[in-house]
Amino acid sequence: MLLLLKAECRKLARPLVWGTGLAVVGFCLLLTWVAADNARGALSSPKIPDICSHSATPQCQSLVAHAHAAARAAAIATSSLAQPGQIGHLAAGMLASLPGLLLIALVAGGHWGGERGLRTIRQLLSREGRRGRVLAAKWLTIWATGVATMLCCWVALLAAAPAIAAATGLPSAGASAWAGIGSSMGSLAHAAVVLGLFAAIATAAGTIARGQLATTAITAGVMLLALLLASIASVGWLSPASFVQAWMHFPNSGYLPTNFWSKFMGPGTHLRELTGLIGIAVTAAAAAAIARWRMAADVTV
Amino acid sequence: MSSKSRRRFVLAADDWRTAGPYGPGMDVISCKGLTKRFGPTTAVDGLDLRVSACQVYGFLGPNGAGKTTTIRMLLGLIVPTSGQIRLLGRKLPDPQGVRRVGSLIEEPAFYPWLTGRRNVEVLAATSGGASAAEVQRVLGLTGLGEVADRKVKTYSQGMRQRLGLAAAMLGRPSLLIIDEPTNGLDPGGIREIRELLRGLSADGTTVFLSSHLLSEVEQVCDRVAVIVRGRLVDEGPPGTLGALRPRVRIIVHPTKAAAAERLLARWPARRQNGSIIVEHDSGSEVNGALVAGGVIASSVVIERPRLEDRFLELTEQKTTSREDDHAIAVES
Repeated sequence: MLLLLKAECRKLARPLVWGTGLAVVGFCLLLTWVAADNARGALSSPKIPDICSHSATPQCQSLVAHAHAAARAAAIATSSLAQPGQIGHLAAGMLASLPGLLLIALVAGGHWGGERGLRTIRQLLSREGRRGRVLAAKWLTIWATGVATMLCCWVALLAAAPAIAAATGLPSAGASAWAGIGSSMGSLAHAAVVLGLFAAIATAAGTIARGQLATTAITAGVMLLALLLASIASVGWLSPASFVQAWMHFPNSGYLPTNFWSKFMGPGTHLRELTGLIGIAVTAAAAAAIARWRMAADVTV
Repeated sequence: MSSKSRRRFVLAADDWRTAGPYGPGMDVISCKGLTKRFGPTTAVDGLDLRVSACQVYGFLGPNGAGKTTTIRMLLGLIVPTSGQIRLLGRKLPDPQGVRRVGSLIEEPAFYPWLTGRRNVEVLAATSGGASAAEVQRVLGLTGLGEVADRKVKTYSQGMRQRLGLAAAMLGRPSLLIIDEPTNGLDPGGIREIRELLRGLSADGTTVFLSSHLLSEVEQVCDRVAVIVRGRLVDEGPPGTLGALRPRVRIIVHPTKAAAAERLLARWPARRQNGSIIVEHDSGSEVNGALVAGGVIASSVVIERPRLEDRFLELTEQKTTSREDDHAIAVES
């Protein structure tokens, strides 16, 4: 199994994987820059109602003071989130939401769906006849790519985010730079579980789609449908997207959004964390069962 | 025991791919009643096949005959509808058995973003691993030593074919199953591969070779099986197969052709391109029958049909008999 994993890892050394990983890391950095810039902008010109622009009534003075306080609080929150101790939440949130899903869908398309497209599946399965092992190796390497990208993203943000916060002139967070590191690491661990779910769905999609683009489309499509389902109040709690939300505890976004998931969730989908984990496990098991069933089919490419 | 069967075969006992020892005469591949249906289509129909060790065994058939389906069943890529396969002494399905077989199926496929060497290393790791020296050995054997560090996407079709063979030979497998090994190769390359296959056979590797290049099969194979529409229609050494039905080609004046046919009615005969082909191995008996009936032949030639002719003939016969069966069924 280790040799098979080694072979699969060597296949991952390709422009598609480097490019997608770099794009996700770059996106996280860009997002941090834009969020910090927006927070700084809001601090210098807070949202004041038009009616109070040229009025000095006590109500307006109160509203203006409140707007300044809110902008300052948001700027400090953004500055705090950009500190090394907290920035892990951003890396985890991004990889456990749509950017991570897209990464897994693209990598799985090339790494697993592409085996049929290139017809290398014949060589692969005639050399390793234990198809369950091949599936496991594919799942593991797709998941590991997601986790590795998340860690790269975290490291890049650890180095760059405090500098970005300082460069944009955000007020100091006040607390120690490394405060909350434990919570960040917890978030990263939770995100690793979600990446496992994405990888399981992608592996199943690869056995169904039997092509690079189709694998990517099915993986992304299934989870987007799950998000859509999650926004339906009556059945939303049954959606895998709700399980992810419950497991990750995604907050509503501020100036620096820590995920691209919670804003798509509808009301009535507030599940407990354990329920989320069980839901993730059941969904991943269902995906594995579909993959195993499809994998037993004849290879005729 | 023939000189070939006395050849010493080299087997690396500690090699992960080697299932041996498989001595001459031992069955390396054995299929019994092998059948595969895809919906209403029967691709392989009750195929019985036995391939002995240390042979180069040719597997011939026209397009759609069921060759590739058979090879895929041997390699565990397709599950037979019915029948049994024993590969290197193990009954399939058996992933461990299949792992010990080197294979090249149709056009070889590789990861284009990796170098030739890295592709071979990846394939070696997939099936249990091989040393760097072993990877270098197979690359050298197939003449790819100098281009091994170039990305596969820059390779020509011939180079890819060689790389496919290199990957198949990794770990000195006891059995090599290869499909059209000389596709895309230049004449020099074809000769090299032929010599390589003969050398492998001499070293104790059994080669199961599917090809439609009959001249290649004639030159390389010890035995040949012909498959048409999923059924085995002939099997034997190529020499025997080619000479199975020696025949006499006679040329007579066109006005005497009908009379000649009547005189030769005791043997199967047919007209072909202005001459008459008589399915008999004695030219003097055929000529004697003509002379006795007062017909003088301008030419009497004993033909030993090449495998190519035999193959086409078998194919046509099979097709014709199927069509006849169909016609009868429609009429009835």
